[in-house]
Amino acid sequence: MDEQGIIKRCLKGETGEFRQIVNQYTPPLMAVAMTVLGNRQDAEDICQETFIQAYRHLSSFDTEKSLRTWLYTILYRRCLNAAKRKKIFSGILNRLKTEPQTWTPTSDPGPEEQLFLPPGLYRTLSPKERTVLSLWANDGYTAHDISEVVGCSASTVRVTLFNARRKIKAFLENKHGVMQNC
Amino acid sequence: MVSCKIVNALYAAVPSRVFRDYLIRTHLEKCDGCQARYISRSEAEALFIKPGNANPASGLWEKIECQIGQEAAVPEQRLTGLRWEWAVGAVTFLVLAAASFWLLRGVQTKAVRADYIWPAGHFGINYINVGGAPAQAFVYQPKGADIIIVWAEKKS
Repeated sequence: MDEQGIIKRCLKGETGEFRQIVNQYTPPLMAVAMTVLGNRQDAEDICQETFIQAYRHLSSFDTEKSLRTWLYTILYRRCLNAAKRKKIFSGILNRLKTEPQTWTPTSDPGPEEQLFLPPGLYRTLSPKERTVLSLWANDGYTAHDISEVVGCSASTVRVTLFNARRKIKAFLENKHGVMQNC
Repeated sequence: MVSCKIVNALYAAVPSRVFRDYLIRTHLEKCDGCQARYISRSEAEALFIKPGNANPASGLWEKIECQIGQEAAVPEQRLTGLRWEWAVGAVTFLVLAAASFWLLRGVQTKAVRADYIWPAGHFGINYINVGGAPAQAFVYQPKGADIIIVWAEKKS
């Protein structure tokens, strides 16, 4: 059944039909969420919240538009909020810690904090840049498509994308250079 | 190339989004030499986690279904609750409005005729004419106020 048919049936109260949407879009949403948040558990929570919010507001969805982009839009906002919360929370925790903490980028992250990018890139790229890059690389989204997700103009996305691409290139070259020197 | 160096220098020097976008569209996107300074799509794809490797732990749908199943039942109750709230609010308003109206009418009927209160040396009305004929007059003095209101109407 096509998406429009599924959405219509969901709106009639057949909640079971929504499972098809969840199954279809969970992997791409998870990929973006994991890239932005760097943590599988947080990504799962955000995906769950995204689908629930989408279900709640399914009646307001314009079926002429892409469902995938709409879901990405919800996910992106939720990821940003989660990242902000995490930053605030970790800031508070760091203040509470009395012992000095050392962090090495090459250390193996534990299962709780499993990173899905080289650790240095999490510091180099902002959540917005990670989202833009992930959509561009994994989904083949254009600047116009991405602008719908992140809520800014296509030109802003193009500049953000180019800056992020240059940062990664510089990071990888630097890392590779360091490894060669070693 | 000289033009590439100029473009890159301009890109770095002018932090205007519109100008940078112009440089990207007119040169950076098309120039192979400049593209080498940026990570390609295939390189980025290899770097980022792929949707195929991002499957969540089992039970995601069950959690979602549980949540939306609960919410599917709630709106009806919520709507019924809202209707009751509106009904109670409307009835309360009507009762208060009726009571206020009745109380105000009561105040009017209790108004003392002008010729009954003649505080000597303060205020007095001998008679009031309306349309050339003596009128029926009422005097109101709100408690604690320095004003006196005179209401006169033509005798029927």
